[in-house]
Amino acid sequence: MISRRGALIAGGTGVAVVAGGAAAYKVATGDKPEPPSPPSVNADGKLLWRNWSGIQNAYPAARLAPKDEGELALALKTAQGPIRPVGAGHSFTALAPTTGTLVSLDAMAGVVDWEGDAAIVRTGTRLGALGPMLAEKGRALPNLPDINKQSLGGALGTATHGAGAKIPALHGDVTGLRLVTPSGQVIDADAEKNPEIFQAARVSLGALGVISQVRIRTSANRRLRRRVWLEPFEEALANAEARWAQHRNFEFYAVPFTGLAANISHDETDDPALPRGPDQDTEFLEALKGLRNLLGFATPVRKAAAKALLSTAKPETAVDEGWKLLSTERPVRFNEMEFHLPVENQLKALEEVVRTIEKERPDVFFPIEARRIASDDAWLSPFHGGPRGSVAVHAYYRDDFSFLYSLVEPIFRRYEGRPHWGKLHTLRGQQLAALYPRWNDFLAVRQELDPEGRMLNPYLRGLFGLT
Amino acid sequence: MKRLALLASALILAACGAKPPPPPTPEQALALRPADARLAALYETSCRACHAMPETGAPMVHDRAAWDPRWKQGEAVLLDHTIQGFNAMPATGQCATCTPDDFKALIRFMAGREDSAT
Repeated sequence: MISRRGALIAGGTGVAVVAGGAAAYKVATGDKPEPPSPPSVNADGKLLWRNWSGIQNAYPAARLAPKDEGELALALKTAQGPIRPVGAGHSFTALAPTTGTLVSLDAMAGVVDWEGDAAIVRTGTRLGALGPMLAEKGRALPNLPDINKQSLGGALGTATHGAGAKIPALHGDVTGLRLVTPSGQVIDADAEKNPEIFQAARVSLGALGVISQVRIRTSANRRLRRRVWLEPFEEALANAEARWAQHRNFEFYAVPFTGLAANISHDETDDPALPRGPDQDTEFLEALKGLRNLLGFATPVRKAAAKALLSTAKPETAVDEGWKLLSTERPVRFNEMEFHLPVENQLKALEEVVRTIEKERPDVFFPIEARRIASDDAWLSPFHGGPRGSVAVHAYYRDDFSFLYSLVEPIFRRYEGRPHWGKLHTLRGQQLAALYPRWNDFLAVRQELDPEGRMLNPYLRGLFGLT
Repeated sequence: MKRLALLASALILAACGAKPPPPPTPEQALALRPADARLAALYETSCRACHAMPETGAPMVHDRAAWDPRWKQGEAVLLDHTIQGFNAMPATGQCATCTPDDFKALIRFMAGREDSAT
């Protein structure tokens, strides 16, 4: 995310210098220590599993890594529940923790076949590894999320998406899938064959069984021109709609306590490659953190300092194949809440979130991300029934993130947002049923495929309103 | 005096011998894999995504200058940081099925060490 604000590096470095000078003591003492961790091994000798940000953990009784569908089917049929599939552990919600069996598809990865321009991909494939595999055939996923460390299965299961008003989330390009159910049955599903299972399973939180492979549309592996530029937040708001219409991919970040926003666009080009330079995410975030630590007590001063330091930043341009540009490294961990709002509500919600954070939470320094995503028809897709505008709020992994629930989520809910399935939210049962017209249809398919609820951990039982 | 000179020479030679090898180039780092096939598969799926990519800020595979200060903390500390996560390092390096012995072997490989941490 932050490297998409590479245009800010010059200013960011300046802030870092300031922060590293006479006030270094204040900067150092403004940082919180590493959050305490549960022990690596529990009293029963079980090994710790923990998610990427560190807020979810479990000590599974068993961990399985099947090598093929036969092993997977046997595992699902016989394993101790709750059985939870896990990829890279990037979800912030408690989708993966289990005291029963954790199933990883790391050993079931790769492109196994092609049907025209659609690739048959095993869902244990990490997105970062899939790029070069598809590029060998001159193809690419039409879009990618900010991070590419996730497994394909995990990304699909949580409706993970990229930025692009005309491009759907990853699951929107899935045209067929193979589901291994908790009873060990292997079901092929697409729009014609088992269509109800297909529409339920495309976004299914790993609750129907484990999807072992998918058929996914690809696009030509074109070079993209990436531009990153900075401007006042008000101008970014005023121009956002036109830019979503104009660019293949467009997103922008409101940088709280600076009055600024960073815009990022990607458009197809035949120009020669101009690779992106070294990633500067960490330095930029350190600069924002330094401003927070130094001047967090006085918002007007903090804003003035930020504007003075950051406004000299130069726009950044890079040209390369899309799979090399659309995702970025995220070396600084965080917790996150993202809701997908009706497009007419997105910018109003964003403005209110920024205003509220700047009024109530001077400890926040992470930029706030706004993206647009095309619609699809998967039953639990947040983009079911129309395009959505997403707003994502981040909190440094060492910082308190309770404000996401107390201050930010009420704004998103008032603007009729649907939560990202892998990111923090409190919605359950009937609250979700009111947002998803096919909610009960999904629950009916779930009941049919897993009547004993062996795929359900306590979090999913609560989410589905089954407790 | 002669003995002292010999001792000094030996110490200088030992110091020269202890000098860590230069870090691999980015291309070399991308190509490195553990010799054991199973370990190589675990490494390729998880560790390599950061420890062979300079832009992540993670200590590069076989970069002794980056690894030696960490190595000095001892295997138990490195193992805990790997399993629990620490700073930018996500818990278990995002390998859900690696065992503690796998982690120890992967750490030894990436740190460019065959012996145990002390």
